[in-house]
Amino acid sequence: MSTAIQFNNVSLNYGSEDGLVRVLKSVNFSVNSDEIVSIVGPSGSGKTSIIMLAAGLEMASEGSIKINSQEIVGLRENDLSDVRKKNIGIVFQSFYLIPNLTAVENVLLSLEANQKYNRDEEAKSLLGEFGLSHRINHLPSELSGGEQQRVAIARALINKPKIILADEPTGNLDSANSESMMDLLFEYTKKSKTSLVMVTHDDSVARRCDRIIEIKDGQIV
Amino acid sequence: MVKLFNLQQLLLINKYALRDFLRSYKKLWVITTTLFISLLLLSLTFSVKQALNDEIQANSKELLGGDIQVNSGIEPLPVNILEELSSLGEISSAVELATMVSKKGQSPVFTEIRAVDGNYPLYGEIETIPEGVGEKLFLSAQKPTVLINESIQKLLQVKTGEDVVIMGKSFEVAGIVTSVPDLQNSAVFGEFAIISKTSYDQFELSSGGSFLDYEYRLKFNNPNEGGEQAKLVESIVAYDNTIETLLPNDSSQSLSRVIDNFSNFLNLVSVSAMIIAGIGISNTLLSFVNQSNTSIAVKKSIGFSSQFIQLMYFYEIILILIVTSIIAYLIGVFSPLLANDLLPKSLDIDLQPTLSLIGYLNIFFIGLLVVLIFSIPSLYSIKDIKAVALFRNTFQPASLNFSLKNIALLTFLIVILSTYFVLQTEQKFYTVLYFVAFFITILIFYGVSKLLIAILRRSYRFSNNGYRIAYRNIVAKKSLAPIMTISLGIGLTLLLTLSFVSNNLKKEISDSIPSMAPDLFFVSIDKDIKGDLESFITSMDPNVELEFSPMASASFVSLNGTPIEEIVSQNNRSAWVVRGDRRISWSEKPKEDNPIVEGEWWESGNEDEMFISMDSRAAFDLGMKINDKITLNILGRDVTGIVKNFREVDYRDISVNFAIIINKAFANKLPYEYIGTLKSELSADDILSSVVERFPNVSAIKVDRILSQVSGVLNKIFIAVTGISLIVIIIGLIVIVSAVMVQTTFRRYNNLIYKILGVDFPTILKAMTMEFAIIYFTLIFFALSVAVIGSYLIVENTLQLTWQFDFDLTLWILLSTAIVSFILILMANRSIFSPKVYPLIRNE
Ligand SMILES: Nc1ncnc2c1ncn2[C@@H]1O[C@H](COP(=O)(O)OP(=O)(O)OP(=O)(O)O)[C@@H](O)[C@H]1O
Ligand SMILES: [Mg+2]
Repeated sequence: MSTAIQFNNVSLNYGSEDGLVRVLKSVNFSVNSDEIVSIVGPSGSGKTSIIMLAAGLEMASEGSIKINSQEIVGLRENDLSDVRKKNIGIVFQSFYLIPNLTAVENVLLSLEANQKYNRDEEAKSLLGEFGLSHRINHLPSELSGGEQQRVAIARALINKPKIILADEPTGNLDSANSESMMDLLFEYTKKSKTSLVMVTHDDSVARRCDRIIEIKDGQIV
Repeated sequence: MVKLFNLQQLLLINKYALRDFLRSYKKLWVITTTLFISLLLLSLTFSVKQALNDEIQANSKELLGGDIQVNSGIEPLPVNILEELSSLGEISSAVELATMVSKKGQSPVFTEIRAVDGNYPLYGEIETIPEGVGEKLFLSAQKPTVLINESIQKLLQVKTGEDVVIMGKSFEVAGIVTSVPDLQNSAVFGEFAIISKTSYDQFELSSGGSFLDYEYRLKFNNPNEGGEQAKLVESIVAYDNTIETLLPNDSSQSLSRVIDNFSNFLNLVSVSAMIIAGIGISNTLLSFVNQSNTSIAVKKSIGFSSQFIQLMYFYEIILILIVTSIIAYLIGVFSPLLANDLLPKSLDIDLQPTLSLIGYLNIFFIGLLVVLIFSIPSLYSIKDIKAVALFRNTFQPASLNFSLKNIALLTFLIVILSTYFVLQTEQKFYTVLYFVAFFITILIFYGVSKLLIAILRRSYRFSNNGYRIAYRNIVAKKSLAPIMTISLGIGLTLLLTLSFVSNNLKKEISDSIPSMAPDLFFVSIDKDIKGDLESFITSMDPNVELEFSPMASASFVSLNGTPIEEIVSQNNRSAWVVRGDRRISWSEKPKEDNPIVEGEWWESGNEDEMFISMDSRAAFDLGMKINDKITLNILGRDVTGIVKNFREVDYRDISVNFAIIINKAFANKLPYEYIGTLKSELSADDILSSVVERFPNVSAIKVDRILSQVSGVLNKIFIAVTGISLIVIIIGLIVIVSAVMVQTTFRRYNNLIYKILGVDFPTILKAMTMEFAIIYFTLIFFALSVAVIGSYLIVENTLQLTWQFDFDLTLWILLSTAIVSFILILMANRSIFSPKVYPLIRNE
């Protein structure tokens, strides 16, 4: 067991016209490599910001962030892309499938980003596990919201990332759909010893996690 | 950039790009069509030029009429020289003369006549109607015969078998020549006839000295040793330096130069079209990037780098470029086959398509540069699309990326593009000038759009609803104003400039020149008949304006001892003054309409020294100064004279003008003839008929005939030129329409909100009209200004004519462009008027 994510005194500020917005103030936490953690807190408290920092999509103003022991604060864009594609899978609240690619092509995208080619069978079987074997060649516009989110999760998982980051993955789904979605995610992460960091507003979801990190006004409570 | 990618990744880029292209090609139609049209234009001009030059090269011997041509001027070659030459090959001797061909009841026609022997033509064939009547010339039948061209046939209304009179002798028309291999200007555009050398000798026909030329064409026995044979010929005739020799290349070169100059101009216009297409490419690409922003963000979140995504889109455009350039190239290559049908038959040109890799790469390279220049700022906008947007569900529209690095790169590419064109042309100066003017015009119009927006922002805001909406649309971030001002502005400027220039030229030829010019132009009048001719004409019309000037032939040898060829390049504006035979004149006093601008006129009565008065413009171009020494060859003898003064000569009135005038005292020793002009209230046709009947050896050109020939040729050129500048406008319109269509979603949304707010349809329509009118009027003002300045400079400086503004023409062009553009814009916008806008609310 090792440390997958390590935040040390991380601050995030945005400069705006009426001064500095201090979004995160000296945040410290770590996530182990097979841990499932949920982040909860009121709206605007900085949950999404934490996810973006961990994904290397936003640059911390201060502090250090380590992903699998590699420091990512201060890396250039290309190196961040590299860290991301090797370690991280992201699931968004609004799915964000690429509209002109079919389900399987969307999934293949993350394999191909990692220079893994011609792995169609693998992608199809994962979609099959997610109960989508009959929807493989459909475009996102032809899928329901739940189906789209399952494709999005498959896209995040196919590359066997060591860390999955999810920002309110069930936010756009009804309760039945979100239940089965969580089952999928939990089952997969347990099985493959992957760490999962998930932002959620849903208490029942949060309670199923190994640990809850609560955040308020940019600080962990 | 490329080093970051391995083969597998390149394959992946290929796969993604192809897939993306196949699924979204509809969004790329603007790039495809505008790129295609402009590449096609470029390819057409390149191919036709290439084919014409090939044809000229391949037929250079036919064009000359032999392996070598020897011109001995007004004297035939001595018999012993001819014998020496005939040992080298077959000789065809001919005499070129210019004289009148007449028929009872018709006005005589000034004609270039060629008297040929039985060996003519050595290469190629004469084509006639009826076929094969060329032979008839040499039958020693009872009556001499003549072949005339179609133009004479029409002017004299003469049929085959009827008689015409040449220098008082009757000739039967044997047929019509439709083409001769050794292409003559007069055979194509003017009046041309062929008789046999025997008739010429028999009747002792002879026109005035300066229009007579003995020509000998040779076909070598050993064509393989053409080079050495030609040297032999040159050495045989070297005894007399007035004897000229011409090789096949000499005749083809001047023709090629004309073609090159014209095609270079067309190339520049095509590249302008391509640059406007580039603006469309840039705009479409940017909107394409913006439409694909989620896909781009998702790819980034998965771990694809910006470079990878940029390369993928770039690769898509390169694919479009490859496909369109190949099609455009192929159509271009085979276009000469079509051109064959369009060219006049008398040119006897048979163009052949030639496929060549270099030819294709040439077009591809130019296309690539334009695509690079215009896609870089759009593609670099991909960098600005951030994956974090996926968490926030908000996408900022990306805009063109003009980082310092990009600006440097773009400047570099633009310099390469311009240099590439400049290096390919002889007219380097004008090409550079064109590019500079072109890019300045782009900047002007870009500035105009910014200015318009800035002024509108500050101006008083009318409370009229339509105006408010129009105002909002123009100052909005995605305003049509910049793209419309630039692309329509440049097209309109080009069209206006070319129309102004052509209109001024046409006016000059149809209005100004005829009012100043004489009616008749007498050429080479024997000094012995001058007096009789003068009194004959004055007896017909006592008020006639007759002016005769003495004239002798001379050629320019050297300036201050340096051979003139070493001083004056072929592209010199005044090269014509020192090239070939020039007619010089003399007088005691300066002519009134030739004011002296530098130096002094000479004292009369210095018969041992030659004094020279030069045309001031030629003197400037050739770098002459007062007291320079000029050597002229007059009748075979080199004479050196001193430049005494420069005169301002206005050639426009087509009166008798000479670039070189010498002192009368010296000239009195020279053999000479007269040249003259006539202006009369009586009909020029009647005077000419009577004169030719009474003086069969007098030749005169009718000025209106020349003018109509010139304007005929000019008309054709300008139709072509205007057509091409119209293509630039069409491409501009496609670009605008695409910009409008890119905006429709955004506008639909706005208009829907206006509707909900209670703004009715007529107001929205009024707003659109106002928006168009505001932009178009601003644009007109600047397009017109640039065109007026541009055409003024061309007309006054390059063509040396008086510039005039034509209000009707301007109005016509501006109005028709406005109507066409506005209708197209309305059509592109039609979806915003559709009632099905309500679903939009749910989607947004
Ligand atoms: N670009 C920015 N400039 C200034 N402030 C920003 C910017 N982006 C985010 N913020 C601020 O940062 C704070 C934290 O945002 P964040 O998205 O992390 O909140 P969140 O906890 O995810 O909220 P929610 O539960 O509503 O999604 C918010 O107050 C927001 O206004
Ligand atoms: Mg959030």
